[in-house]
Amino acid sequence: MANGWLTDTLILLPLGGAIFIALAPLSRLAAGLLALAVSLVEIAFWGGALTSYRFDQNIPFVQLEDRTTWFGELGISYHVGFTGPALWLTGMAAVTMTAAIAYAVWVRREHARAYFASMLLLTTAVVGVFVAQDYLLFYVFWEAMLIPLYVLVGVWGGPGRLRATLMFFIYTMAGSLLMLTSIIVLGISRGTFDIVEGGVSNSDWIFLGFVAAFVVKAPIFPFHAWLPVAYREAPAEVAGVLSGVVSKAAAYGFLYIAILHFPHPTHDFRTPILVLAAIGLIYGSVLAFRAPDLRGVVAYSSLAQLGLITFGLFATNLAGFNGAVLQMVNHGLISVGLFMLVGLVELRTGTGKLDRLGGMARGRPALATVLMTLGIIALAVPGSSAFAGEFMILTGVFTSGWGWSVVGAIAIVLAAMYMLRLISAVLHRSKGSAVDDDARDLRLPELAFILPLVACLIVLSAWPAAVTDHNLDVVNAFPALERFVP
Amino acid sequence: MTEITTSWICLFSPLVAVIVIALGGNRFSRRAAGVIATGSVALSFAAAVVAFATMLTRAPGNRSHLSTAWTWLSAGNLHFGLSVLVDPLSVFMMLVVSGVGGLIVLYSIGYMHGDDEERRYFAYMAMFVFSMLLLVQGGNLILLLSGWGLVGLSSYLLIGFWHERPAAIAAAKKAFVMNAIGDATFALALFLLIAKTGTLDYGLAFSKAHGLSQTVLILIALGLLGGAVAKSAQLPLHTWLPDAMEGPTPVSALIHAATMVTAGVYLIARTAPIFQLASVVQDTAAALGAVTLVMAGLIALVQTDIKRVIAYSTMSQIGYMFLGVGLGAYASGMFHLLTHAFFKALLFLAAGVVIHALAGEQDIRKMGGLRGLMPKTYAVFLVGALSLAGIPPFSGFFSKDPIIAATLERGGAFGYVMFVLAIGGTFLTGLYTFRLVFRVFHGDRDRFVDETFDTHHGEGPLVMLLPVGVLAIGATLAGWLQVPGGWHGVSSWLQPVAAPILETTNTQEAIASIVSVVLGLAGAGIAWWIYIARRRPAPAAVPAFERKFWFDELYDALFHRPAVTTAKVLYALVEGPLVGGSMAGIAEAVRGLGTGTGRLQTGLVRTYALALAASLAVLAVVFLAVR
Repeated sequence: MANGWLTDTLILLPLGGAIFIALAPLSRLAAGLLALAVSLVEIAFWGGALTSYRFDQNIPFVQLEDRTTWFGELGISYHVGFTGPALWLTGMAAVTMTAAIAYAVWVRREHARAYFASMLLLTTAVVGVFVAQDYLLFYVFWEAMLIPLYVLVGVWGGPGRLRATLMFFIYTMAGSLLMLTSIIVLGISRGTFDIVEGGVSNSDWIFLGFVAAFVVKAPIFPFHAWLPVAYREAPAEVAGVLSGVVSKAAAYGFLYIAILHFPHPTHDFRTPILVLAAIGLIYGSVLAFRAPDLRGVVAYSSLAQLGLITFGLFATNLAGFNGAVLQMVNHGLISVGLFMLVGLVELRTGTGKLDRLGGMARGRPALATVLMTLGIIALAVPGSSAFAGEFMILTGVFTSGWGWSVVGAIAIVLAAMYMLRLISAVLHRSKGSAVDDDARDLRLPELAFILPLVACLIVLSAWPAAVTDHNLDVVNAFPALERFVP
Repeated sequence: MTEITTSWICLFSPLVAVIVIALGGNRFSRRAAGVIATGSVALSFAAAVVAFATMLTRAPGNRSHLSTAWTWLSAGNLHFGLSVLVDPLSVFMMLVVSGVGGLIVLYSIGYMHGDDEERRYFAYMAMFVFSMLLLVQGGNLILLLSGWGLVGLSSYLLIGFWHERPAAIAAAKKAFVMNAIGDATFALALFLLIAKTGTLDYGLAFSKAHGLSQTVLILIALGLLGGAVAKSAQLPLHTWLPDAMEGPTPVSALIHAATMVTAGVYLIARTAPIFQLASVVQDTAAALGAVTLVMAGLIALVQTDIKRVIAYSTMSQIGYMFLGVGLGAYASGMFHLLTHAFFKALLFLAAGVVIHALAGEQDIRKMGGLRGLMPKTYAVFLVGALSLAGIPPFSGFFSKDPIIAATLERGGAFGYVMFVLAIGGTFLTGLYTFRLVFRVFHGDRDRFVDETFDTHHGEGPLVMLLPVGVLAIGATLAGWLQVPGGWHGVSSWLQPVAAPILETTNTQEAIASIVSVVLGLAGAGIAWWIYIARRRPAPAAVPAFERKFWFDELYDALFHRPAVTTAKVLYALVEGPLVGGSMAGIAEAVRGLGTGTGRLQTGLVRTYALALAASLAVLAVVFLAVR
């Protein structure tokens, strides 16, 4: 249990920060800067976790563990630790949450203490979901994500925020209650809630309870009705976190809980899930192509991307898993970056409607370069890290049937169509009616929180194997998988 | 330095220039950005020359090396290295790309002088060269695909360089999407290859390919061919190329001569072992090339934009290269690629000088009689035109004829049909090329010319004329690298990588040469008869040629409009009801709970409590049931 304190720190540091900010009488700026400092320290601790993690096939799957009995007689414990994918996703979450917090400091969110406390609380919850090794603990963190999110959307959102919050809340609540049912049944029937100790299960019903929570939160078609509303009404950076980070909690749940711990139900249900993912991939891409506003394009592209990631996961082989994890990291960075850019464009023009934008490249080289770079990576231009992820995913799913890869290939073309449409609508042609000449280029502080995300993506493009090669050898850790891993 | 070190330098030098220009921003003058870009490509060329010279000292069997920097992507047993392959084929392409590319970038310093965004332009140009070098140097198919995609990206950026022109942006998007279709089929071929062989390394994949079934091989080859026709603007994915003329003229030269469109030819030569195992697909490549070369020649006859005439001539000439590599005459295809790079870059850059002098005008109906005003440009344009038309002793003659001879060697119904199409193409080439020469440089000077010709500027600065001159020398002399019945510089160099599957005889070469020269001269003669001697009025344009055989309309009806309609239908029938319905349902449910206060928090907390209670009830039921 070496270095378990690192994992604890990653959970508790933002929580402590959140409590302090909520209670201490800080000014707006002080609250923001403190939150920013806490999240930067979080990144540093993640760096520590990364260096202490040993990517080696012959040592335990879960590392940096810590375990304390919680309700001993019920078999519940505080058990945390990192799997390889969780480590990368935590890093992605730490980096993107920091960027989102910096964005919020820059645009001066009202009620700063409540806002920044919520953001830090969300960080804790997300990291908790990634590291939890106890089902009940997993559930606690899972639900804990919901509270700050509904405050963040409900208080700081756009004019339709109430409906958006309500919808998001009811939808995800319905899913998580089914998951809670599964967890309680699973835990009580086994006498332990521990994920590692419990081993695999063969119950279809319990599997489906988990899947219900994940398909809603991800979301997977047709459980996405909350998505366009929530992504349009949330503050830009919160929409980014929702689509970039929170959705990954669901995707990770698919991988670590649904697939790895329910191999037989996964085998039985993977075709219907792949079908839904395929529909979502095409459906999301087509709607993104015709969406009338910036957020619509990014929101539906996110639906498509989650479909693609689900493809990789339910390919149930190494290429699919590793590609999906890489793509989760990519999509987190891309989505948060794009939503922040959307927010900055909206701040300058007062609108996200594509037909009122245009011509912003002229005289705004920084905005043009950053949006172009992110957009190009988002459409997975060959050579980019997103391409590497998609390539691996489609390689993986090909072994399940060539038809899946054909769907993926069609989606690649559609992605080019909707992303280029977005880029051109903002940057190119003549000036849109909402674009004033004095709408400024990206300023230095704005670049300071967007460029690190772009830099991460460029480094990953040069070396995507950093993630795929330092990830997990699930076949060793989960022998039950071998039965159907092609 | 070994050829491996120099290859890495060759590859990354332009990328370094991109980064330096991008990070430098306003700290560099515009001129400096041009110099950095040119210098980096020149360094690439120097590195390629050193690599070539080093390899010459080695025995032909010992000229292929793979160097891996690190594992780029991996999962389980799959490992794709970031590696370069240094062999005769890649060095051949490195020389063409960096050599001709470097001249074009140099020329751009003069051509783009005064544009607001020169730095962005030169960063993109260097990016383009880097992408193409990655494509030809990459040591496995995934790197080839990466370069492939980055070339598409660079072309998008450069075609749409003047981003305030709607036509330029539309053309750029069209090029990218057309290429993305090719990328997608290419990627599918690779998925299949991985599934069947477990590797994307050239050597290993080719040796394992022998054990694959014919169906699998055909599918892989078809996927690769899909990528090749999209990138090389062959039927049926060719429609982006003429529109790509919206970019600055040096960009057109770069796309058409040194980079991009030649990639498909390279791909077929590089993956020749797979195509040879799927001979149906290889024949398809040849047939597509032959049909494209005739169709593009017909369309070129009626174009009125100087750059579009040259653009269609590119499509046509690439058709010859496809025909060559499709027949298995790889060295002939690559040789034509080399000479074409010289004379096509020459024609575009010379056309650029004309456009530059006429304040951006590209319509040949407003030109005429420029010979007197621009003697140097006229001379070099004539060299390019003679070379394009395949008139000896210019280079096109030497490289085109072996391809035509190969159709004879192939023989049979297929071979003779290809032969007829190919020699038909030579006639069309002579006709449209000299129509262009006569309309632009001969005849009476249009009043427009007198009004706009920039006498002060003249034929442009030295930085533009120098590269044009070098290219003219290349277009004149490059043909002598390989003379039928004499020596075979290109064939023997490429022999270890792409051994031809057919050998032409001297008789066939002679027949091909005589027929094609006669027909080329006949085409030129008819052009003279119509446009100079004016014995006949110029014939009315055929609608099918003017409408480019309705491909744009077809694709619009097949793809774009269905995509738009599908999206509308999905919004109306699925997304609207789904979102609206759940919204209404939830509103109903909340009202039903009797919250009535309208205050969010109260409502939610109550809902939450209710949901928790309900969940416990569900839980109890499930628990009992599972028990």
